[in-house]
Amino acid sequence: MATSEKLEPPAPPSDATAAILVFAAVTMLVLPTLDAFGVIDHFTLNLWGKYLCYALLALSVDVLWGGTGLLSLGQGLFFALGGYMHGMYLMRMIGDQGQYHKPIPDFLVFLGWTELPAFWKPFEHFSFAMLMVFLLPGLIAGIFGWLAFRSRIKGVYFSILTQALTYAGALIFFRNNTLMGGNNGFTDFKLELGFALREPLTQRGLFIVTAAVLVGTILLLRWLQGTKFGLVQRAIRDGENRTLFSGYATPAFKLFIFVVAALIAAIGGALYVPQVGIINPSDMQTDKSLEAIVWVAVGGRGTIAGPILGAISVNLLKSYATRAMPDMWLILLGGLFLLVVLFLPGGLVSLPARLAPLWRKFRPTTSATV
Amino acid sequence: MRKKLFIITAFLSLFSSLIAEEARECIARAAIAKSEKNQGEILNELMGRADDSILPLFDAWRKDRLYLHEPAGAAAIPVLLEGPKDAKGAQEAISVATGKSIGLRLVGDNLNAAGHSANLRRVMKAVLDLTALSSPDRAKKLSALAAIGQGQQAEKLPALERRLPLETDPAVVKALREALALVRLKSPDAEVKLAALRELESLQSLASTDFIKTMQKDPAVLKDPRLVDAARTALLAVERHRVAVDFGGTLFRSLSLGSILVIVALGLAITFGLMGVINMAHGEMIAIGAYTTYVVQNVFANGLALSPFGFSLNIPGMHTTGWWRESYFLFALPLSFLAAAAAGVLLERGVIRFLYRRPLESLLATWGVSLLLQQILKLTFGANNVQVGSPAYLSGNWIVGDVLLGWNRVFVIGFATLIVIGVWLVLSRTSVGLLIRSVTQNRSMAACMGVRTERVNMLTFALGSGLAGLAGAFLSQIGNVGPALGQSYVVDSFMVVVVGGVGDLVGTVISGLGIGTFDQFTQQYSPTVAGIFANVPFIGGGLQNLAQDSAVFGKILVLCAIILFLQWRPSGLFAARSRSLD
Amino acid sequence: MAHPLLTVEDVTKTYDGFKAISNLNFYLFEGELRTVIGPNGAGKSTFFDLLTGRTQPDKGKIEFGTDPADSHDLTKLDEVSINRLGIGRKFQTPSVYAEHTVRENLILSIRGARGVFASLFHKLGSTENDRIDELLKLIRLEAKGEWKAGLLAHGEKQWLEIGMLLAQEPRVLLVDEPAAGMTDEETRRTGELLLSLAGKHSLVVVEHDMTFVKQIAVNGRVTVLHQGALLCEGKFDDVQADARVREVYLGRGKHGTR
Repeated sequence: MATSEKLEPPAPPSDATAAILVFAAVTMLVLPTLDAFGVIDHFTLNLWGKYLCYALLALSVDVLWGGTGLLSLGQGLFFALGGYMHGMYLMRMIGDQGQYHKPIPDFLVFLGWTELPAFWKPFEHFSFAMLMVFLLPGLIAGIFGWLAFRSRIKGVYFSILTQALTYAGALIFFRNNTLMGGNNGFTDFKLELGFALREPLTQRGLFIVTAAVLVGTILLLRWLQGTKFGLVQRAIRDGENRTLFSGYATPAFKLFIFVVAALIAAIGGALYVPQVGIINPSDMQTDKSLEAIVWVAVGGRGTIAGPILGAISVNLLKSYATRAMPDMWLILLGGLFLLVVLFLPGGLVSLPARLAPLWRKFRPTTSATV
Repeated sequence: MRKKLFIITAFLSLFSSLIAEEARECIARAAIAKSEKNQGEILNELMGRADDSILPLFDAWRKDRLYLHEPAGAAAIPVLLEGPKDAKGAQEAISVATGKSIGLRLVGDNLNAAGHSANLRRVMKAVLDLTALSSPDRAKKLSALAAIGQGQQAEKLPALERRLPLETDPAVVKALREALALVRLKSPDAEVKLAALRELESLQSLASTDFIKTMQKDPAVLKDPRLVDAARTALLAVERHRVAVDFGGTLFRSLSLGSILVIVALGLAITFGLMGVINMAHGEMIAIGAYTTYVVQNVFANGLALSPFGFSLNIPGMHTTGWWRESYFLFALPLSFLAAAAAGVLLERGVIRFLYRRPLESLLATWGVSLLLQQILKLTFGANNVQVGSPAYLSGNWIVGDVLLGWNRVFVIGFATLIVIGVWLVLSRTSVGLLIRSVTQNRSMAACMGVRTERVNMLTFALGSGLAGLAGAFLSQIGNVGPALGQSYVVDSFMVVVVGGVGDLVGTVISGLGIGTFDQFTQQYSPTVAGIFANVPFIGGGLQNLAQDSAVFGKILVLCAIILFLQWRPSGLFAARSRSLD
Repeated sequence: MAHPLLTVEDVTKTYDGFKAISNLNFYLFEGELRTVIGPNGAGKSTFFDLLTGRTQPDKGKIEFGTDPADSHDLTKLDEVSINRLGIGRKFQTPSVYAEHTVRENLILSIRGARGVFASLFHKLGSTENDRIDELLKLIRLEAKGEWKAGLLAHGEKQWLEIGMLLAQEPRVLLVDEPAAGMTDEETRRTGELLLSLAGKHSLVVVEHDMTFVKQIAVNGRVTVLHQGALLCEGKFDDVQADARVREVYLGRGKHGTR
């Protein structure tokens, strides 16, 4: 499967470093400060916190798709799993403050449980929950990836199987008997590490942590791009067989990057849950994963800025459209996606380069008239 | 045969009317009988009598509308009040005994209604149950027999026994024998019990399990080793039969699900094989087919008012009735094919043709289309499911040895077979098929040979999508029709294509049937399957838990099986080989 | 006589009933430059596929190593392991990484770190850089080191791929139609390059262009494949004079093929 698409060359490194610094400053300092002084309201900051989590999910999609040529339709699964693992801790922190005032989560009371199921017990420790945020998605990605890559499943086949994987995940989590809250999932969280989640200060802290994690991920991915691993990764994207015949065991490379991507998604999900206040199996449905692909496509794949830009811009549009014209949102999303795939394969980040010729044509006339 | 039966019944009813009084006379006598016990005895005489007058009269009695006209000095006359009320509220009085007017107009409120105790009502119900036995409607007869068997009331035995020599329909005879045996199971006589057990054993009566089990706990039975023994062997025989019936039923469901998967996946496999495009909007093509069936159904009936995007669109109906209306489905089949095929052509011309050689992007683009179509369907037909009725010839069951085969599913299996044969013929015997195959094998070579690949692409998409439309028409007969109809099948059909191998008809059929079978069997036997893995660390407990929801269990196991299968055959059952590097 | 480096004995490979290779015997000795010719469909590409682990034979043995006690059964190994043993392959259609620069293509190919973690923390050393510069000079692309490989001309891509092959420092080079799409001058230089490699490396070159074959087969032997089987083997002039070879190539036999 030869990829004939032309990917835009990455911007010169000096510009990129400056951009990262600006991005880090704005998200980690400026926005929280504005929030603290009441210039922007808490709701807006919270919304942007959600977008940053989505940006992590988008990066996870793009590391695979833009970076390695693996289109995973199942990154939402890892995102949701990360969210669930953190959610279990948050559920334990509700204590007996739930509707039923029992020491176990409400949905378990509702299902007739009087005691906590064994696998729930260790989740009262934050550290264990955080470990599981990485361990469970990593393990699932590891097993699935190992099986898929060693049997050389690739291209469309890989996409379809990942879709089936997240579909299976959603089926499992929709069941009440899985004891993970059924289709209502987890909600009504109260405390995170002893801080009340309702407090603006807690939310601001979560926002800063999210921004820091995002910046950290950006730096990690940039470093990865510069290593020989990055070269091999892109080589696999452009001609996997050639890479095999150069002596690289591509399944191992793909497995590594698949697990890394799963972990990025998982941490995004783990940060998403306390900020949004709910996690349920609908986040595992295949449509959610595909939405993340729309973000990447719209922003521009194969870059680091593109997925982040896409996640934020598409979700801004979504926030607006689902309120202004709820019936039309899916049509808008589908249409937008089609247009980008057909007419702007490089996404928004490729727009400047695309418009440059137009700009050049336009400028002489303006300078002449001025 | 039927004529003979008719003569016999006619003769018998004549005979019985000669020897016994009319049923209505009997009821009239009961209504004025002195004691409740007496009334019961009189009504008991009606057991097993087939008489159309019984039901309305009992109905009137139970609803306190069987009145007693008590002229001074004379015996009371049971009457019904019928016809329009006049100014005083009086109505025509009809004698229960004769069914004729007694020439008086009476007011209901001034009369006493014949009384009925709970006991009496029970007798009436028993009589009615038995009346159903002589009903000409087979289904009614069978359900009445089942009810009598479950009731185990000894007083119904004589009527059942009387009925036995009259029945010729084997299914009814079997049900009758089963009912008799079940009732006799309650008999105090050990010999009768024994015979009943033997009968149930030979009938392999599935309904008897609970009754035999109850009987086994009876201390009187426990004392008799013969009975204990007979009960055990009868239960064994019944269980063995149940296993066989379950197996047969599962096999049938496998075949039916497999057929659906094959029809759904066939179109997908054709387009995938030809163009390397996994059409994520395939599910919506299915929905288009199903909605076309819905529209056609309404056109044959009273029309349809739609309001897509706020416009109002009225589709007039043809107001057909009877057989003509029932035939709507036969028209819906080709139309749903055409509608989906047209949508497929639009999709190919409008989107996919720009994306050949970019398989991942065409996959994504078709997903965008899928979103669009889903929302358009939702806005046109509403977010809720719509009702598509099955024509009479597709409803009901076909029962083969206690296995229930739904006609609609039998039809789907039959039609799937026809479609597979049809597609095979199109691909192997027609010039279109030749073109499609040549482009599948070597696109550029075919183009060099003068094949207009553009047209072939279009035709292929039309064929593939049309097949999805047909699948939609079938699915409308099996489940609900809603905007997300296709979504529930589309992941499964992707799996069928992945397992079957790209663009191979035989592979698709085998893999569709295989996945259908695997799914249904793991569902049916989920506790057993989970039990096998019970001691495997980590997954054992999880599987046990999962097995509580057999449908999810089936699907998850199918997915696991597919991933493991692909370890063995990475490019599916029938892999297309290529010598190029990528 | 020394033990061959590459031993192929009685190998058969069928695809859907079609015999791509039938009962083939082939021996390659250390330092030899062997030219393989044959009409289309003779099984040349399948032959390379078998040697590189892309596909496995139905029967027969393929062994690698001059020491019979310590040779490797190539039918049991995958592409990666075979490549790591020191068998490199240049494909018929030039397959370079189009989105990577010429230099990056060579970095990817140069002998050394191949594992996931090794490549994560691999630092390009000065010996490696020197080697890459040397190779760039050899394949005459020193001025285009920072070009994207996809932008190179067809002949240049062929050269780059040969360079990538050399960067791996393999013991055996399998070269599929290196002269395709080259000018006469480039073809001649390619031939010289291959000839200069013989001795240090062992080479198997598949080629159609008879002038080129004549050039590179000056010291070595030529193997002719036909319909998956060995037709004849020997010096270029002997092979050229062989009646069967003439019949296969020119189709002037009594059966009138083509």
